[in-house]
Amino acid sequence: MKPRAPRAALFVALVVLAWLVWDTGADPVRLARGMPWILDFLRRMMPPDLRVLPAALLGAIKTVEIALLGTAVAAVLALPLGFLSARNVAPGAVFYPARVVLNFFRSVDTLVYALVFVAAVGLGPFPGVLAVVAYTTTSLAKLYSEAVEGIDPGPVDAVTATGATRLQILRFGVIPQVLPLFLSYVLYRLETNIRAATILGFVGAGGIGFYLQTYLRMIDYPAASTVLLVTVAMVMVVDAISSRLRDRLV
Amino acid sequence: MIEVAGLRVVLPPSTIALDGVDLAVGRGEFVVVLGRSGAGKTTFLRSLNRLVEPTAGSIRVAGRAVTGAGAAALREVRRQIGMVFQQFNLVRRASVLENVLAGRLGYVPPVPSVLGRFPADDRALARTCLAQVGLVHLAARRADTLSGGEQQRVAIARALAQRPAVILADEPTASLDPALTSSIMDILKTINVEHGLTLVVSQHQLETALTYATRIVGFRRGRVAFDGPPSAVTPTVARTIYDDGDEG
Repeated sequence: MKPRAPRAALFVALVVLAWLVWDTGADPVRLARGMPWILDFLRRMMPPDLRVLPAALLGAIKTVEIALLGTAVAAVLALPLGFLSARNVAPGAVFYPARVVLNFFRSVDTLVYALVFVAAVGLGPFPGVLAVVAYTTTSLAKLYSEAVEGIDPGPVDAVTATGATRLQILRFGVIPQVLPLFLSYVLYRLETNIRAATILGFVGAGGIGFYLQTYLRMIDYPAASTVLLVTVAMVMVVDAISSRLRDRLV
Repeated sequence: MIEVAGLRVVLPPSTIALDGVDLAVGRGEFVVVLGRSGAGKTTFLRSLNRLVEPTAGSIRVAGRAVTGAGAAALREVRRQIGMVFQQFNLVRRASVLENVLAGRLGYVPPVPSVLGRFPADDRALARTCLAQVGLVHLAARRADTLSGGEQQRVAIARALAQRPAVILADEPTASLDPALTSSIMDILKTINVEHGLTLVVSQHQLETALTYATRIVGFRRGRVAFDGPPSAVTPTVARTIYDDGDEG
């Protein structure tokens, strides 16, 4: 690379950054003026209203259920998609369409899917599960396919050389190599889905988010803070369990 | 046992790896293939079971056509050809026994095998093959917990489990400690002598090649540059094989 190129790139980056600050109205002074309001908000949340703790816990459990069921279903649905969109396994005629489909559906977030499914099947945790399935299937399929593309071709050659069928090659040459990675991705997705499912309640798709939104609307900040604390605890517990499981996989 | 005629392999985008190879190997021969890296040894071995697709020419192994065979026929002829690789190519996370059982995949009913179930006879055969390489006591161990030399012996057992007519070994000792070379070559020699299997082994070590081979085939730039008994490999012949000549 020519020595001038990095300097030019830096200049362009600075111009873009300046424009972004101007166009989004990012203003540290405005943030500073808002600080007292944030502090007031926090003060009004104290102390948490523990009378709503049972409701918050039930909501948290529902959120975990949504994420668990949605992730589990998606982990299975993503399997065929993942293999079909792996360059080294799928024939070209299948690979390219599969990639397009994946990229299309993956560009939409869980929350948008939730809006669609709430409209389709009504309020409650069920549309939440559907939304998690819709997003997670495609995002896991993408991760699966990358794992499949990264395998060592050696064992695949060796199994092929024995006279095995395509399915047997997949089972004995490919899957043993990718399975631990797949499981680790599923757990990672479970962690992010717990967070995503927290918000789902805001659009009527069940779980703890519903309580948070309700208390905020009722301007019942002590109750909302209880819900927030439960949310934080829930995320931390799931992350801890999940990362411990993931460590075991490697 | 192996009949190769007019074999030409062009690797994408346009590397001519093999440029007209004719070779006939009889039953029970121990052929060692010599040549510099890039001379076409690996491509030659891999085209014999069509892990590499030949561009032109014909190959027959154990009386069956390899070139032109459909998917099912190709699988059948592959069962006859065991293969041993430089990097062992075991499934690292699977047990030693499972790796050897993979050698039975061409024979066992496909659906149960995909579910991990193998007939008792095949399991027994896998153990017999492991015993042949002296590793039956490690059957339950995970493959990647074994040393390199042990892994290569497991790979040989996997090839034996195919009950093949031919075993191809692509630089089987190149990834190993030199001290282990003879242990692996001895096992291959035993298989050759006691079971009458035909072996085609590529080697980069001339001395090893001359010790074990009944026949030496030298490759040079994708062609057979020498073909004869070890006793005929004079320093001049060795130079012909290894000397790349003037480029351009």
